[in-house]
Amino acid sequence: MAVLFILFAGLAIGCAISMVVQRNPLYSAISLIGVFISLACLYVTLAAPFIAAVQVIVYAGAIMVLVVFVIMLLNVEEEERGPLRLRSLIPIAVMLAAVLFAEAVFIIFFVQANPRTPALTVSDIGMTSSIGGGLFTTYLLPFEITSILLLMAIVGAITLARTGGLLSPRAAVVPGAQVFSKEMLDREKYIDDLTPVTTQSTREAEHLLGIENKDQSSKT
Amino acid sequence: MEDLKHLVLLIIGILVAFFVVMTMVAYTVLAERRVLGFIQGRLGPNRVGPGGFLQPLADLLKFIFKEDIVPDKSTRFVYFLAPMIATIAALMTMVVYPFGPKITLPLIGSIDGLVIARFDVALLYVLGVTSVGVYGIALAGWSSNNKYSLMGGLRAASQMISYELALGLGLIGVVLQSGTLDLYSIVEQQAGHLGISGWNLIWVQPLGFIIYLIAAIAETNRVPFDLPEAETELVAGFHTEYSAMKFALFFLAEYVNMFTVSMLATTLFLGGWNGPFVHQLPWLGMFYFLGKVVFFLFFYIWLRGTLPRFRFDQLMIFGWKFLVPAAIINIVLTATLQWLGVFDYFSQFLKTQTGFWG
Repeated sequence: MAVLFILFAGLAIGCAISMVVQRNPLYSAISLIGVFISLACLYVTLAAPFIAAVQVIVYAGAIMVLVVFVIMLLNVEEEERGPLRLRSLIPIAVMLAAVLFAEAVFIIFFVQANPRTPALTVSDIGMTSSIGGGLFTTYLLPFEITSILLLMAIVGAITLARTGGLLSPRAAVVPGAQVFSKEMLDREKYIDDLTPVTTQSTREAEHLLGIENKDQSSKT
Repeated sequence: MEDLKHLVLLIIGILVAFFVVMTMVAYTVLAERRVLGFIQGRLGPNRVGPGGFLQPLADLLKFIFKEDIVPDKSTRFVYFLAPMIATIAALMTMVVYPFGPKITLPLIGSIDGLVIARFDVALLYVLGVTSVGVYGIALAGWSSNNKYSLMGGLRAASQMISYELALGLGLIGVVLQSGTLDLYSIVEQQAGHLGISGWNLIWVQPLGFIIYLIAAIAETNRVPFDLPEAETELVAGFHTEYSAMKFALFFLAEYVNMFTVSMLATTLFLGGWNGPFVHQLPWLGMFYFLGKVVFFLFFYIWLRGTLPRFRFDQLMIFGWKFLVPAAIINIVLTATLQWLGVFDYFSQFLKTQTGFWG
């Protein structure tokens, strides 16, 4: 067990450092995935397989995919290392790190070495059934509140994304045609009107939107 | 001593499973080409060995000896990492599938089920590892520095995220019913008369099975959901810039994924190794299991020879507006029926063992 702990803890720390140091955002994202997966392995060694699985599915499998997706779409270049802002915070950071380190030392050398500390007992706290039982009995109310919070976040995201210019869900998009909503023609006249307007060619679409290039059309 | 024996058995198990799966994957490729040939009224490869039997070996040699071309402007590290992620993620799920029941071997004694690793959250492990496999494809598309590759990678990533949801939700019905995430117990619960009547597919999860099957085909990027490598639009999609062994790794990952997805379908819906007379002859179980998997693989090939490809907007609409709601309906329905005790009533007839047929 100790070997596995050292292996995965080392991997997690290494990936975390690499995440901060890397200048290419995609490498940082890959390092972060490495951190998540090493943490999941640590959870397995701590007898919490359910939490480990959820860690991989949710963080590594869903959230980081979206992050990688965005980085790929934006085609972010390597960041230039600029002058350090917030230089005044360095002493505070060092101090906090020292406190954390002291805490770890205290636990290892004083609490765990103390004969009065109760020995570790095997528990099934990380197992699927105990987590499920807890969620649906003792912690039912917080669980439901969290669900509603998440639902609100989803609805909010959709509402924010839908402000104008979007097509109605029923607009059929045929390859080769240019389709936009009526609202894009005149924002004052058709407010929130998502009726699709279909045009057969780019020139027709430019004409309708009033953005056609006058010079080119006069030449042809 | 006992630990050592356990470790040796484990390593042997991994090697055997790896060998069996790899061989079957290699011959799936051959079978695909032959069956497609049959469907399209032509012969397919039949020159190497009797009936083309050695074709996989020839293909492998060809992949090894081809020139390995790395694009000049690619992002080197990620370019090499991507095929590895894809293959490793595909192969890692293999360890949790129960290949057979408890058997007794000469010399070694009895083995408690032909499964390499049996643990509490096997099903979640499968879903988690599969979801990591997306990176292989997405990063391959990005690092190649090629527009077609990037489009293919983006398509693959968005498709796999979308269908992963339907896939996971489709499986919840089975989990609700068996009350466990351990694949071995799920298989054990599906024993019934002649090892057939207890299958989840027939009696209790027909909707879940259909949702899983469709989502699984989309997850593995196969026809009719093979948009990430739609050759008429994207050349070869995310692996356009890959050659030689690195291409072979993607190829391998795709077929291993097909295989593991079929194994999961067999395990959860078709009763795993259950079948007639398994209780008298436990070895039969392994052949039943592999036989059912082969049926699914054939189904994949059959679909490829039959169906045209989806358009991308159709794909997304189908996934989000049909499969996900259907999966949610399935969950609610299963939970309601479970609560009303309908399944218990059923299982009195279907899932109980009788002495004679057993």
